[in-house]
Amino acid sequence: MINGNLKASYAADERVLNNTYKQTFVYGMMLALALFAGFANDYMILIACKMGILLIAVVGVNILTGYTGLVSLGHGAFVAIGAYSVTMLENGLTGIVPESLTIFVVLPLAVAITAVVGVFVGLPSLRVKGLYLAVATLAANFIVIFLIEQDAFAPWTGGVVGINTHDANILGWVLDTNREMFVLIAVVAFVSLLAAQNLIRTRVGRAFIAIRDRDYSAEILGISLLRYKLTSFALSAAYCGLAGAMFAYFYSRILPEQFELDLSLELVAALIVGGMGRTMGPVFGVMIIVMMPEVIKVFAAYFTGGDAASARYIAPLQEIAFGLLLVFFLLKEPLGINHITDRILRAANRWPFARG
Amino acid sequence: MKLNRRSFLATSAAATAVMGTPMILKAQPAEYVLGASLPLTGPFATAGQLVAPVFALAAKLFNDEGGVAGTPIRFVTEDSGYIPQNALANYQRALATEGDAMIGYFADSTGAMKLIAPELKGANARIMGSTSFASELANPATNPYQYLSGPTYQSQFDILLQKIKDVGGTTVAFIYSNTEFGRDPLEHGRATAERLGIKVVLEEETKAQGADIPTHVTKLAQSGAEHCILQGYVTGVWPQLIGGARQFGLPTKFYGTFWGMEKIIADRITAEAGPFLEGYEGIMPYRYFWDQADAPRYQKYAEYSKAMFAGTPLENYMSTWALQTMCGLEIAMKAFRDTAEKGLELTPDNIAETLAGISDWDTGGFFGGPVSMVNNAIGTGRVYAYDTASGLFNPTSDWFTV
Repeated sequence: MINGNLKASYAADERVLNNTYKQTFVYGMMLALALFAGFANDYMILIACKMGILLIAVVGVNILTGYTGLVSLGHGAFVAIGAYSVTMLENGLTGIVPESLTIFVVLPLAVAITAVVGVFVGLPSLRVKGLYLAVATLAANFIVIFLIEQDAFAPWTGGVVGINTHDANILGWVLDTNREMFVLIAVVAFVSLLAAQNLIRTRVGRAFIAIRDRDYSAEILGISLLRYKLTSFALSAAYCGLAGAMFAYFYSRILPEQFELDLSLELVAALIVGGMGRTMGPVFGVMIIVMMPEVIKVFAAYFTGGDAASARYIAPLQEIAFGLLLVFFLLKEPLGINHITDRILRAANRWPFARG
Repeated sequence: MKLNRRSFLATSAAATAVMGTPMILKAQPAEYVLGASLPLTGPFATAGQLVAPVFALAAKLFNDEGGVAGTPIRFVTEDSGYIPQNALANYQRALATEGDAMIGYFADSTGAMKLIAPELKGANARIMGSTSFASELANPATNPYQYLSGPTYQSQFDILLQKIKDVGGTTVAFIYSNTEFGRDPLEHGRATAERLGIKVVLEEETKAQGADIPTHVTKLAQSGAEHCILQGYVTGVWPQLIGGARQFGLPTKFYGTFWGMEKIIADRITAEAGPFLEGYEGIMPYRYFWDQADAPRYQKYAEYSKAMFAGTPLENYMSTWALQTMCGLEIAMKAFRDTAEKGLELTPDNIAETLAGISDWDTGGFFGGPVSMVNNAIGTGRVYAYDTASGLFNPTSDWFTV
């Protein structure tokens, strides 16, 4: 039954974690992640890192699409800009800034660069919206990848053959194993998620939501569409830039083909499956998008023993099963997995007085 | 300390444990594992699907021959969808699940090899072959654990450009897919063409699958290229490009590299659309499977294929792609066996050292003669031309070594 949710002051109501359930969940997750870093095997760490990186980017897409109502199919480009900026800056600052401090210069710069590019990509949002905006942002993907691949920029970007990246070095602690990178990625993803949760209760966040719900009304209320739409694009791109930076630190090499349209679509798909405009939506979406194929693969390997003859038939079935599962989730809950968990938690909270 | 029965037993047990532990830790696994990623879905699924069965053949054949110094070998294969990150995840998953028993890995693309290469260090290092002939990989200094089962794409381009020069060609077009595989030899090809006095009049990038053929053919026509090298295709695009050019009335002479030299594709296109692939030439590092007279290893494969794949197309023919995989696995097995024969532990460093030192190796007919690993690649091959009447690729050059 509902209890433990009494708020005796406005300050209590305005807190990011404004009830004991949220606090317990967040502290519990912190503990779980700490235990995970210590006990999970290498493969689980790898998958968790992939999820963490994607999560940061999807949180960014959520700010733009979920909270501000602007659709983008070009966010893969921002991940690319973050990844390449970090690598190029690391290369450029070698010998100038001490290695143990480089990340503190490089990371904010890479995020800032991505945010600035995000503002430019967001300019069409002032004239078009919906599907038209999606198509307009699509161009970002192609332009950025095209530029990265150009021979003229190859000395810095590595061109079509990609470029080796640097290990993250935090005050002399070189994160050269996946497990060490997991610690960084988990912390960054966690803080990103909390920052996004915090954002939506600020003046800026409320402006985003007003624009999403009806942009004309928001403008009449005094919200500058120019300012807030571009702010949303900048913040969203910055998150993706941060994800890109983690990507570059995590993988030993980056290739242009890792950031093509597929990635942009994956980000949007994760958000839709998880639940748009909800803090935990990206978490659920990323879990489904990253883990589902892995779970199917592990099951398939369990039954076939990795036998190639069986894998021939199982591999296409895995793709079909993944597609069907996505369709199933969307049919069962068009508002995303977050809505399913909402219903379950609500039922648990009100039990035995009400169900659902 | 006073020694009594109880303390004697305790001390003995402790001593046995201490002495025995290293042996237990370094115990030879009951079986060795070789992991693999294959493109069983995605743009190159046709090739992956045709290659997959040969892993079963390889497992049976190698184990019938005694595995690695009496220890059987098992293959663990997974789909990558031709996505480099998936191949990396597969590799990491195999490492986590198979541990030290996994002594080698087979990757399925240039992108995957490049992405995995920097990860091959310390406890995560394994010897790694692949479907790729990417030039950058043939460098033991930077990629000590990776090897190529034939000549690099750059070498293949060199040979084709030399051939164009020899027949008096002055202009060439490079048409390539928008993949790592497609772009690999371009820069080198440009430099070689310039050195040979051949003008590169067109560099056209296409999709790896479902390319806009009329547009690309129109650009080829506008370029006026006498010769055209196609790179980065497996099952599609290259035949359509040649077909489109012929329909357009272009006299351009077409060439391909290894992955565009498969009889199954050429036969299918000829049966469906006519003999427009007549005279199409390209590089093939190995003998074709029908050329078994001087290839005892091929005869052995044929014997196993007949038994294992009866009633399927694989019963009588092994594709070029499957041969490339078998060659890669044979190289790995030779390195494993030679390392074991030397009495060395099968560590990545020991295997890599043995592999790099392979010389004058009789492969049983894959190549024209004994071969050696130079820069972790075997730079041997031959130019073949397709004959639409017989449906065979016939050699138009002698075996060469680059």
